Amino acid sequence: MKFLCLKCEQYMAFEKVEAPEEGRLGVTFGCASCGGRFAMVTNPGETQLVSSLGVSLGGRAVPPVPLEMTRATLRSEAQSSATMAEYLATRAQEPVQAETSGGCPFSAMLREKGLAGEQPAGSTLEPAWSEPARAQLERLPTFVRQVLAKSVEAYARTHGYALITPEVIEAQKRGVDDIAWSPEASARLANIPDFVRPVARKEIERLARNRGATTVTGEVMDEAKTLFAMG
Amino acid sequence: MRKLKYSDSAKVIEQLDVLSTRVRERMTGIRHKLVVMSGKGGVGKSMTTVNLALALARRGHRVGVLDVDLNGPCVGAMLGMRDARLEVGREGAVAPVGPLGIKVASMSFLIRRTDPVRWKGPMDLSPVWLGLQEMQVVRELLSDVVWGELDFLLADLPPGAAADKPPVIAGLIPDLAGAVFVTTPSEVAGEVVCRSIAYARDLGIRVLGLIENMSGYRCPSCNEHHALFRGDSQALCDALDVPLLGRVPFDPTLAETFDQGRPLEDAEHPTARLFDQITGRALALLDYRRLLAQEL
Repeated sequence: MKFLCLKCEQYMAFEKVEAPEEGRLGVTFGCASCGGRFAMVTNPGETQLVSSLGVSLGGRAVPPVPLEMTRATLRSEAQSSATMAEYLATRAQEPVQAETSGGCPFSAMLREKGLAGEQPAGSTLEPAWSEPARAQLERLPTFVRQVLAKSVEAYARTHGYALITPEVIEAQKRGVDDIAWSPEASARLANIPDFVRPVARKEIERLARNRGATTVTGEVMDEAKTLFAMG
Repeated sequence: MRKLKYSDSAKVIEQLDVLSTRVRERMTGIRHKLVVMSGKGGVGKSMTTVNLALALARRGHRVGVLDVDLNGPCVGAMLGMRDARLEVGREGAVAPVGPLGIKVASMSFLIRRTDPVRWKGPMDLSPVWLGLQEMQVVRELLSDVVWGELDFLLADLPPGAAADKPPVIAGLIPDLAGAVFVTTPSEVAGEVVCRSIAYARDLGIRVLGLIENMSGYRCPSCNEHHALFRGDSQALCDALDVPLLGRVPFDPTLAETFDQGRPLEDAEHPTARLFDQITGRALALLDYRRLLAQEL
């Protein structure tokens, strides 16, 4: 924010900051050309907004000291919040201007630009749940059920499944349905502790896919091992 | 007015950049930064953080704990450091050293034991400024506490609230290695944790795993295990594709020792052994590429 001296058409220079009372700042500016000066006094809300940023008004002249803001703003004892209470009380008494355009001007602007408002009606066909899949879902705790249902439906839509079966759930869980595992590769994966195995499976399948392979073989495992060793 | 050239003499953006750089510089001596979070209050985040820190320290790692729960700091009390203070010098605020050499920084080290954490200004009356203020306090704790060289810094995040979104706080930590989530096996806690995990992932935070706390109750008389909740954290982990790092039953001995500020240092205690196991899993996941290079 800058202030302009309209008489000289020149920016006014920041001079000093004072605290006339708790919760208020008096910031003085001067015009270098005509010598005119004025001070801006902030209300407690504006003061807080500025001080919470942890920056210095007018630029930082001295290096910050450790925990500067924390220590400066921490109350050592409970104090009255009279200043702010007074400010809010004053604001509450101010007459509220009647809205002529039906609400917040920013919302109106967003609406005008087409950036807000109702979503266009979707035309996506929702996949249906087969009885066995629904039974499988309903055995889970409520919140897990909601999360899983959302993910499986998204997966079904992406992959063009009109009906969600237990196989679709399994494919979604594994994250892929395009990569097979040879018996040798599966045996080698089994050497990995169970809590790391899902991560390993994903990484190795990603590698196979990048190589254009449809099956994780011993060779893919060797390559993965070398890549993991490289960090 | 259009002829005038705008000059940013206050350099606000530059000042904000400097603040971020200070955090990054301060954190350069720390190898792995982890956050412990939940989204739900009362599930045992601080207890878990302290036990993970102790387990890491028992393995010989240099560990720091940053108590980011500004309004309900309790890590200091749990580690028997109720009277510790952050000594502020020219280089920063020196983190006091607790059991097993663990360095700790907490808001409780800046206030008197019975004082509430309150700020000057209008924050008591509006959460708008409170959120901004507290984020800057967290940023200052990250930039100004002197940790020195550490292998691990664990940040104990507050429960979720409008004023202090834990995943956003986690985003203030540069090169964060990951987040460990804590839940109880209750449906209510699981539901909140589920949202918190989704939020963290949206912000690009790596979810290292989930710890199920209060996973039953170990009777001190008969040593038998009884269920406390009927939920299923494994189902949650499967649905979210998150590793379950372990289950920790409620342990009255542990609760008592923490209340007394005498953390459990005995590696042979059943709960300590569980945390050793959980820590081993977390370390393996942190460095899973090395494990795969060896074991595949």
